[in-house]
Amino acid sequence: MKASWDIFCSVVDNFGDVGVTFRLARQLVAEHHLQVRLWIDDLNAFARLCPGADPLADQQVQDGVIVCRWPKEWSKTWQPVDLPDVVVEAFACRLPPDYIEAMHGAEKRPLWFNLEYLSAEDWVSGCHGLPSIQSSGLRKYFFFPGFTEKTGGLLREAGLIEKRQAFQVNPAARHSFLRRLNIMPHAEARLMSLFAYEHAGLGSWLDCLAQADRKTHLLVPEGRILGDVQRWLGVEELKAGAVHGRDALTIQVLPFVRQEDYDQLLWCCDFNVVRGEDSFVRAQWAGQPLIWHIYEQDDDAHWAKLDAFLELYMAGLSELAQQALTEVWHSWNGGKAMTHGWNALEQHTDELAAHAERWCLEQALQEDLTTALVRFYQSWI
Amino acid sequence: MKTGKELKPGTVIKLENDPWLVQKAEFTKSGRNSAIMKTKLKNLLTGYKTEIVYSADDKLEDVILDRKEATLSFISGDTYTFMDTTDYTMYELNAEDIEAVLPFVEEGMTDVCEAIFFEDRLVSVELPTTIVRTVDYTEGSARGDTSGKVMKPAKLANGTELQVADFIEIGDKIEIDTREGGSYKGRAK
Repeated sequence: MKASWDIFCSVVDNFGDVGVTFRLARQLVAEHHLQVRLWIDDLNAFARLCPGADPLADQQVQDGVIVCRWPKEWSKTWQPVDLPDVVVEAFACRLPPDYIEAMHGAEKRPLWFNLEYLSAEDWVSGCHGLPSIQSSGLRKYFFFPGFTEKTGGLLREAGLIEKRQAFQVNPAARHSFLRRLNIMPHAEARLMSLFAYEHAGLGSWLDCLAQADRKTHLLVPEGRILGDVQRWLGVEELKAGAVHGRDALTIQVLPFVRQEDYDQLLWCCDFNVVRGEDSFVRAQWAGQPLIWHIYEQDDDAHWAKLDAFLELYMAGLSELAQQALTEVWHSWNGGKAMTHGWNALEQHTDELAAHAERWCLEQALQEDLTTALVRFYQSWI
Repeated sequence: MKTGKELKPGTVIKLENDPWLVQKAEFTKSGRNSAIMKTKLKNLLTGYKTEIVYSADDKLEDVILDRKEATLSFISGDTYTFMDTTDYTMYELNAEDIEAVLPFVEEGMTDVCEAIFFEDRLVSVELPTTIVRTVDYTEGSARGDTSGKVMKPAKLANGTELQVADFIEIGDKIEIDTREGGSYKGRAK
């Protein structure tokens, strides 16, 4: 009999939570042949990532995953469900009290994971896999994604890197994919993608691209950065499908695309600007240079995370490339002008590209997050 | 009840009906409005030790403990003997039991500590929030800074290292805030 998993996802203000949990759920089904229910409290966010989904359905099956509405008024509307073998509360979301009560009273209690946020900080390896004994006596285990073998690793489907590499050396596949999204860059243009939070210094970066010797075709999936792009362009409206040229820079706004398409978009680009957690990891699997727009936290706690990642990521880069990359990432995340840092970074394009591929392959040597969770469960039983 | 964020060395919580002493607690922001507390716990009935993680807002049943004033009498190897200041009873603790405050415990200190008892047994000791210690070694002032914003490393008599203001010299007495691992507060008056 298949082991059953429940994953709980509370969508706070972006698509990262639902993006990560849906990827995890799909991988558990496809590669580990498990029965998975994914509880989501905002199916509208889910429907944007998974265009075939019905945001009004209480229950639906998508890619083999049973996607359930997590009702706000859980205790009033919830009917007891069969408890699974494993429960995952994603990103410290809180399980419904009735559900916890049911776990407490169960003859066979499920394994309970708190799947935490991604961080490269040192302390993560010291907390990964540790239990948390609740006052009820229930135990939950903290599981940390991460970049070293002392963490849970990163979400990565089987064969992902091989698939990506095959795509990148196949111009016909690339051309066909771009055509499907109505992307027709100039033959000499480099392709870049921009998926970020609001950025006060964005204009200076777009200025750099517009004034560069080389043409750039910048793809901007719909999202929070669009307002800043619109202001720079000086247009009244900016919607999916719009294409605007300014000197060497062409900006094209794309509709929000499903996860598989976003992956291929990252693979097509020579440089990607990504945000949050899900797109950040996917950009690393693309094997291309990137800027990470990290989620801003209270007390500026995100800076330590950013620098911890940079320290790991930049090992092996030349000192000048390290300086330029650090300046660019810091400027971007600090909302500062990008001109000096970006121009310096442009001097290291080839080195950064080779490094991004090397980093990707190194990370791919580690066990992936889904397999690590499954293995933990197997040891636990 | 205590929340995960409120756990600190010396707190005793009840887990599965057993009292557990928090020997060490490290607070970290993990992600978007989320934080965790990594703790080192000791079961006061069995002596078993373990590491446990809590979310900052986890609710835990704490155990009401007796507290008395005590001072350090002497140190012998890993054993620290404290004396109840009211009835002069001597109590012993291992270094591990006071791991969190150990960096600021030194022979001859006169601080009046708070001794924590569980069922008449001394289980831990808390130092006052502010203590005064003498700087045993530090480099001379590099930049002549008098603002107190430029910091440099210094060593206390027991070998503990901490950052102090640049103008502090060997033999100076400094105030230390003992919360959250201990930090330099200023030159003692």
